[in-house]
Amino acid sequence: MPDWRWLRQLTLRLRTLFQRDRVDRELEEEFQFHIEQRVELEMGKGFSPEEARSVALRAMDRIEQRKEECRDMRRVNYIDDLWRDLRYTARNLRRSPGFATLAVLIMALGIGANTAIFSVVNGVLLRPLSYLNPDRIVTLTNPSTIAEATTELAVKLVSIPNFQDWHDQSSSFEAMAYYRQGEEAVTVGSTAEYAQATRVSPEFFRVFAVEPILGHLFTAEEVKPGGGGALVISYAYWQSHFRGGPRVLGQTIGGLGRPLPIVGVLPPGFRFPDKTDLWYPVNTVLREPTANSRGGQNYFAVGRLKPSVSLERAQSEMTLIARRLEQEYPESNKGLTVAVTRLRDEMVGDVRLTLYLLLGAVGVVLLIACTNTATLLLGKATARTREVAIRAALGASRKRVVRQLVTESLLLALFAGASGLLLASWGSMALVALAPPDLPRLSEISVDRWVLAFTLGISVITSLLFGLVPALYAARVDLSEALKQGGRRMVSGVGMVRTRGVLVVAETALAVVLLSAAGLLLKSFEALQSVDLGFRPEKVLTMKATVPAPIPAARQFFEDVLPQIRALPGVLAVGATMALPGRFESMATGPYFFDHLPPQREWPAAPSAIISVVAPGTFRALGIPLKSGRDFTDGDDADKPLVAVVNEALVRKSLPGENPIGRTVFCLFDSAQPMTIIGVAGDVRERGPAREPMPECYIPYRQHEFNGPALSVVVRTAGDPIGLEDTLRRVANKTSPTVPMKFTTMKALLSEDVATPRFRTLLFGVFAGLAVCLAMAGVYGVMAYTVAQRSNEFGVRIALGASTGSVVRLVLGQGLALACIGLGVGLAASIAGTRLLKSMLFEVQPNDPLVYVAVAVLLGAVVLVAGYVPANRAAKIDPLTALRQE
Amino acid sequence: MSKPADLVQGTLDLLLLKIVALEPLHAWAISQRMKQVSGDVLQVSDGSLYPALHKLEQEGWIKAEWKVTENGRRAKFYSLTRPGRRALDRETANWERLAGAISQVVRLVEV
Repeated sequence: MPDWRWLRQLTLRLRTLFQRDRVDRELEEEFQFHIEQRVELEMGKGFSPEEARSVALRAMDRIEQRKEECRDMRRVNYIDDLWRDLRYTARNLRRSPGFATLAVLIMALGIGANTAIFSVVNGVLLRPLSYLNPDRIVTLTNPSTIAEATTELAVKLVSIPNFQDWHDQSSSFEAMAYYRQGEEAVTVGSTAEYAQATRVSPEFFRVFAVEPILGHLFTAEEVKPGGGGALVISYAYWQSHFRGGPRVLGQTIGGLGRPLPIVGVLPPGFRFPDKTDLWYPVNTVLREPTANSRGGQNYFAVGRLKPSVSLERAQSEMTLIARRLEQEYPESNKGLTVAVTRLRDEMVGDVRLTLYLLLGAVGVVLLIACTNTATLLLGKATARTREVAIRAALGASRKRVVRQLVTESLLLALFAGASGLLLASWGSMALVALAPPDLPRLSEISVDRWVLAFTLGISVITSLLFGLVPALYAARVDLSEALKQGGRRMVSGVGMVRTRGVLVVAETALAVVLLSAAGLLLKSFEALQSVDLGFRPEKVLTMKATVPAPIPAARQFFEDVLPQIRALPGVLAVGATMALPGRFESMATGPYFFDHLPPQREWPAAPSAIISVVAPGTFRALGIPLKSGRDFTDGDDADKPLVAVVNEALVRKSLPGENPIGRTVFCLFDSAQPMTIIGVAGDVRERGPAREPMPECYIPYRQHEFNGPALSVVVRTAGDPIGLEDTLRRVANKTSPTVPMKFTTMKALLSEDVATPRFRTLLFGVFAGLAVCLAMAGVYGVMAYTVAQRSNEFGVRIALGASTGSVVRLVLGQGLALACIGLGVGLAASIAGTRLLKSMLFEVQPNDPLVYVAVAVLLGAVVLVAGYVPANRAAKIDPLTALRQE
Repeated sequence: MSKPADLVQGTLDLLLLKIVALEPLHAWAISQRMKQVSGDVLQVSDGSLYPALHKLEQEGWIKAEWKVTENGRRAKFYSLTRPGRRALDRETANWERLAGAISQVVRLVEV
């Protein structure tokens, strides 16, 4: 039989909560009944009614307390009190709407900014990847202990033969696969366009344990070498290109080596690697000469650990395998190790520091906002001394008073949290829009329940931070003092001023820390922007074109198009290159040698150069200076002697002091043929503005088979480059209507290169600005308060002949003194803290004196501005009025 | 909350449950009954009776109803609920075990 006890209990609790008056009346009546019965009994013993009554009351033993105990037994008092406090608070806040609005606004800014940044941190760093058992998915990379890594990317790539050995010799993995993503020209129906396509090895989908929502994954027949091949498409591509219709299966897409039939559609969440539209088996279209070369590191590798295998065990197994391969193939594998990393750690590796620093910065803003609100509340607490005193006199315990005041700050914080959430949902959209496009998991940023929990959490915590000090302060009121002072100026002035002073110093110091960090980042960003890239990006239009045709036909396209473009009005120079400056990930690198080719085992340790396949005129179009020799011409054709242009960095590194023109060089790219150096070009920062130029070897596109069917045409224009887009498109379409094109300007591409530092600098700048404004308000508040407090004193001073200037100096001096202490503390903290920024700074040291001087000057100016109004008010005090107020 | 001096902690609940189990009574009658049956040994101050009764009610072990007494006054009558009956049995068993154990110890002969 069920036990309905909980139901009875609930009914009673609800009754107590909602029928409080009735419950209380019943309690009253019950006690009354008891007293009457007792009185009757005592009177029966011969007592007078008065005596009987007093005996009865005495027997109850402190009747009011007993009643309170009975109420306590109902265990809803705290809810009751809370309710009463809330209503009281709401009434209070309604009475001073200005204060309430200001406090809520300040905190909403702080909480909103924090929530917005947290939503990014949550989406990018914290939320688990949306695959089955994501913790078991790992990346396998191939760092070398001897060769100098040219970029972060280079160490991540593996060669197919090495991968095959990893796969066959390891036992820690359920599945292991390699893949490479590329922007490929495809034809869907009759349109030619670019698509993000990823070629994958057979076990790729098993690594992610992903199942198609339509059709099937690749069959054994489709993935075997020379097999039929097939395509699996993303949900988004299905929707955009086939309107989500079921007849997508069996349709073919051209351009990926051969027309491939679509056999499956993946679920909406699956886009790995980022933004992929199409997946196709690597074996069916592999036409790369690197397929059998252990040195050809061109693929990324991923694996799924077996359930029982730890990351450490997998790592030690792979280390053993790598060592074995190193011994077996010293010429290609010398110094190569294997690193096993969880996929999520690998994805977010670079942005982790940036995001945590931003979270720290925005946390500092919140602290400042708290300090500010605390100052506000403190001011209010002063004004409320009398009210608190009366409450205390009427029997409220100190705990009860503090609780009421904390409830007040809690209510403020919750309002602020709610408004902050609005700001945040807007702010997090702005962040996503501003964020560098290579920020991983960008699409996963949203306000989810964790973000909501975070907002609620910081709202509650901050309410304690800014509410507790003023509450404790208020509750420490000396009753008789407060009541005696009669409501006016009932402050123990010294303690109050000191507390507020400490708060102002704290927020100034915090603002200084943020300002310093922002200053350093800004200076670094300036340096990054003004660095000489080695070419002139202004007025350069780029047109990427991919010819879906065999390579000779593709070359023909460019041979036809380039002269036509050169002849257009407004075109100063035109060229074409396999990879644009700064697009290092699409560049080829390889070792180079002079005069003769050494045996293969010496290749891995040789210095390597970027190998750029270019058309004649590219140097002029990009504004890369030719230091000596000549540019390529249309005459440097396949049947002519092979030629190359090298850059100064290569000469500096390998032929210091010699004349390189006429020397023979081998640049290992598509073949190891000797080439004659015909020119020396200036250095270009191909790896982005922050990294030194590296050796580079330019080779003409007509002499090299393996430059693929895609080139980026670069056009230097006399006017606005973007205006030429339509003309170029017409020219290209006239030559071949099935060539997809993509236009952008060199300027736009470069701004993408510095997107991450810009994002960081911008956000730090915004936070620092916010911090300074809040600190300014804080300084103003404390000085205005002081002036109001000391108005008699100033009156007396002025009456005794003090000049306006001396009063202004007195007040400002006080503000400046506080600011100086804050500045000192802040600078010390900055010098300790900005070291964290070191890896983000370009040509700027974390202790850059100029930045700190600028911070100090700016802060001084801000304090003077903030202090001027109250100081001026002090100077204008009419001694008569001030003294009469006493 | 002050506890009646002469009562072992927790036994007030047991006594109240037991008294109410016999018949529904109002608080005044309960206090009188307590004195009667314990021969004035168990002194419970009038005041401390109420919090204890209210607690038992909140626990759901006894329930309260307003009824009219023999001499026509409205009073709050307490009676045992089903869970209260189970609680009483449990408490009684506990008490007997405890009392038995204590009397065993007390009866030990000193040498």
